Amino acid sequence: MDWDKEEIKRILPHREPFLFVDRIVSIEGNERVIAVKDINGDEAFFRGHFPGRPIMPGVLIVEAMAQTSLILYHVCKPEVAKTRPEYYLGRVKAEFLHPVYPGDRLFIEVKGVKITDNAGVVDALARVEDRIVARASLVFGVRKTS
Amino acid sequence: MTDGLDEIRQLVSDVTEVPVEKLTPDADFFRDLNIDSLKAIEIVAAFEKKYKIVIPEDDIPNIRTIRNIMEYLDKKRE
Repeated sequence: MDWDKEEIKRILPHREPFLFVDRIVSIEGNERVIAVKDINGDEAFFRGHFPGRPIMPGVLIVEAMAQTSLILYHVCKPEVAKTRPEYYLGRVKAEFLHPVYPGDRLFIEVKGVKITDNAGVVDALARVEDRIVARASLVFGVRKTS
Repeated sequence: MTDGLDEIRQLVSDVTEVPVEKLTPDADFFRDLNIDSLKAIEIVAAFEKKYKIVIPEDDIPNIRTIRNIMEYLDKKRE
């Protein structure tokens, strides 16, 4: 199964230039989602990070993980997700292992640890080919909008 | 009641960064220790992982103290 960007936009409130999920390439039950983000080099952040030596900022890899987590949340809690709640990041514990460059295809894998109506705890890792470039655990909150 | 009091306090301390000595059996996580709801979910996730149990969502609001956790784990082991 594959979700394209239009389908992703139906779930995520994020939009370019702050949408860091291009495709969903795997959903394993309520447990795991794998997303892809192609880093093509045109991204605005490369102009400043860094001039002449473009490297994807680690915090944006974490953002891609957080956005993929919301796809997982939608799969696990469709009734809550369809009410369009507000999502907010509560805690991130991350390790950055290798730089990500223009031309890389970033695979973001998110595994649910605990998902409830009000929050989610997930483990995430980012890969370029077979190399793990970052891993993190994330905790996010879900606030119902009235 | 379980004899794993120290183990439970240490695990809660690791997750919340509340010093172990403040984690008395009846201190309320929210009222007395300033632990927020996201940290509470992390506590639940940590206990599920360590003790290989599933804590249903409906039970989470009842887990507010170290004593609640000890009693909950004892019940799960029965």
